[in-house]
Amino acid sequence: MHEIRLAWLFFRVGAMNELQYRVNFFLQLFQSVLAIGTGLVSLWLIFSHTSSLHGWNPAQLLIVMGVFTLMGGVIQTTIQPNMTQLIEDVQQGTFDYVLTKPADAQVLASIRRVEIWQSVDVLTGVIIVLIGVLRLQSQFGIGRAVTFLLMLVVGALLIYCFWMILTTLAFWVTSMWHLVELFAGVYNAGRYPVGIYPGWLRYGLTVVVPVAFAVTVPSEALTGRLDTKTVLGAVALSLILVTITRVFWSFGLRRYSGASA
Amino acid sequence: MVKPVIHVDQLTKTYVIPEREGGLKAALRSLVHRKWRDVKAVDHISFDIQPGEVVGFLGPNGAGKTTTLKMLSGLLHPTSGEVTVLGFVPQRRDKAYLKQITLVMGNRNQLQWDLPALDSFELNRAIYRIPTRQFRETRDEFIELLDLQDLVRKPVRNLSLGERMKVEIAASLLQRPQVLYLDEPTIGLDVTMQARIRSFIAEYNRRHDATVLLTSHYMADVEALCKRVIVIHHGHLLFDGSLADLVARFAAFKTIGVTLEDTSADLSRYGEIMSVDSDRVTLRVPKTETPRVTARLLADLPVMDLTVEEPLIEDVIRQVFAQEAPLEELPA
Amino acid sequence: MTAYFDVYRQLMKIGVMAEIQYRVSTYFYMIGMITEPVIYLVVWSTIARSHGGSVGGYTAGQFVAYYIVWTLVRNVNIVFTPYGWEDRIRTGQFSAMLLRPMHPIHWDLAFFAGTRIMSVIMWLPLAAILVIAFRPTISPTWTQVLVFFFAIWGAYLIRSFNQWMLGLVTFWTTRVGAVFQLYITAETLLSGRLVPLSLMPHWVQVLADFLPFQWTFQFPILALIGKLTTRQLFLGLAAQLGWILGGIFLLQLVWAACLRKYSAVGN
Repeated sequence: MHEIRLAWLFFRVGAMNELQYRVNFFLQLFQSVLAIGTGLVSLWLIFSHTSSLHGWNPAQLLIVMGVFTLMGGVIQTTIQPNMTQLIEDVQQGTFDYVLTKPADAQVLASIRRVEIWQSVDVLTGVIIVLIGVLRLQSQFGIGRAVTFLLMLVVGALLIYCFWMILTTLAFWVTSMWHLVELFAGVYNAGRYPVGIYPGWLRYGLTVVVPVAFAVTVPSEALTGRLDTKTVLGAVALSLILVTITRVFWSFGLRRYSGASA
Repeated sequence: MVKPVIHVDQLTKTYVIPEREGGLKAALRSLVHRKWRDVKAVDHISFDIQPGEVVGFLGPNGAGKTTTLKMLSGLLHPTSGEVTVLGFVPQRRDKAYLKQITLVMGNRNQLQWDLPALDSFELNRAIYRIPTRQFRETRDEFIELLDLQDLVRKPVRNLSLGERMKVEIAASLLQRPQVLYLDEPTIGLDVTMQARIRSFIAEYNRRHDATVLLTSHYMADVEALCKRVIVIHHGHLLFDGSLADLVARFAAFKTIGVTLEDTSADLSRYGEIMSVDSDRVTLRVPKTETPRVTARLLADLPVMDLTVEEPLIEDVIRQVFAQEAPLEELPA
Repeated sequence: MTAYFDVYRQLMKIGVMAEIQYRVSTYFYMIGMITEPVIYLVVWSTIARSHGGSVGGYTAGQFVAYYIVWTLVRNVNIVFTPYGWEDRIRTGQFSAMLLRPMHPIHWDLAFFAGTRIMSVIMWLPLAAILVIAFRPTISPTWTQVLVFFFAIWGAYLIRSFNQWMLGLVTFWTTRVGAVFQLYITAETLLSGRLVPLSLMPHWVQVLADFLPFQWTFQFPILALIGKLTTRQLFLGLAAQLGWILGGIFLLQLVWAACLRKYSAVGN
């Protein structure tokens, strides 16, 4: 398919560009190590005072931390750079260049930029998840792994839709910059399973900002807490949100073309 | 003899910069063993400037103008040589010295971007400890001279480039400095705005008897403001004297304008024809040849009118800058 | 002295106006920032509740108080970021700073103090929401409030000096980001930012006693939530004063070195 080939092309060009700045790899690794170190210290502190946090044992919380890091890496590598670029383009009128290209504008706007070094977090996240799984001390089937991967994709898709809808607002509201700061802050809530938060906050982290789907649900899949109903619900929700995003995007695009004509 | 305000003697600034080679291997090697290279930005420059003088400081990009201004304002330490301004050694950055000078550079930093300029003025009053009465007087004087009445009440970000520059200059002079270093104060502005700022600088110089050292790419600025110019090139002092002398010394050509009764005559054997405008012909003639060519023209042809003109200053300056060689190798 | 007072007054005014100008982004930033302590708050009050009401000497309500006061202290101790220096040098702002007849640190201290005052006013509604949502246990005495007032500005000064010195490292390396991240990590673990230090192992507490970090977070917080004796309150203020004086001394040295470097090379 044309769009997928295009995405791959962009990915390769972006990666090659960034490979020129190898020092950034070490800086990113350094940053990743510091973040994970702090996270591990937090877990160690928690479990030096208690044996389980809201029913989650150390190995299970380690998995949550791994998924949090992994998903954070995915967001930083692709979703966030593309969305900030889009906001900037719409503000400065350079978005016209995207529109004049012979490809689907939404796809193009979502795959143009890749911050390849941020994917260090994906790698460290995977390693932490694996360590967590090895320490689970419970039977671990292929079914769980498949559900986990499916939920990861669903989570990433929901985060993407969330960002895309907010970014599309840039067609109407010009200053959307603060969103990045805000999201970076709120995403941190995913470090722990959303079940520990009081009701209203849990609700917000599930429906308003889909942190629960991005981190908690995949972790639940891996630790065997997920029932089929939730899995099907999450898949259905992602399909609905993808459609809404698409419709809203076309709507915003019409508005943009109308305004700049 | 009055003591000079600015005294510069054998001033030299050498930058030590890392040598760069292409390629990843070279880049990695340079991490371990870096090669350094000396670059002389300013090379044994000397001059004195008297109180109240307005001096144009000319030279192409990279000639060492900004480096010199930075040394005069105390931002850079000279490698060797001596500078005193108002009796101070600038590099010591005495507060008393900083209060008596101002440096206006292309990048504009005096004003708070989001606030009306009046707030920035008030801030400068506090920082420079300007007595309230003197502050109000100066502020109102500048507002009047530069026509800032409406501009100082708007947030700076809403001003045009030229408007911002006017306000910027006003803010930089509130403390009534005795010495002004102006680095391209009119760059990027339209002609009217340039003229406005020029006349303001002249007026400030007249009223407060301030000493001004000014760099500009626009000869109109220099012609209007400076009786004296200092030219540097490749860090060397090339010329120090009046504008007229500069032209007399460096202009290799003059232009002769002739009006003839008979327009069919061929003038190309007298000099290079620059333009023909109905019956008037303009010729470019080497300076030393001018008297001879003039005499021949008058003798050979039915001349109705003849003028000998110095070339445009811009042309002379361009010609000077095009010279690669330092002073002693130039034709006298 | 009165002259400095005048400068501070003007710059604080400008800081306040700047903060009003950017109120929307300030709010977004603040909401993002408050997530951090809310996470700690939920985790530790959950643990306290599941262990018969208290852990490490803190009840659930005290944890809530700790982290809500945390948001106030954090709001006051935000200062000029070390990342900003690169920009200052590149755009020539640094030269402009040097040309003013005043040490440039006064500019940052006064301007940010202005923004902090405004920021605290804007924080009040968020604090009210946190109080209603999580119900802290807190009943400070007047002495504690008074000590707290001085302690947050002590924290502000100590953190300002620290970050200024980190920023000045820009004159020697372009990798200030890495240095700053190391600083933030150390601060998170050793200042009481992550958890009250009394929950940490003993050796960490001993280490923290030799470092300035705890005076920028934990001390003001403990002062207000009533975890310190009167003697500890005043000794704490004295310790802050010590770190402030030490900071001024060290800053002079770093600043002089940095000026030597800058005036040799320019930008």
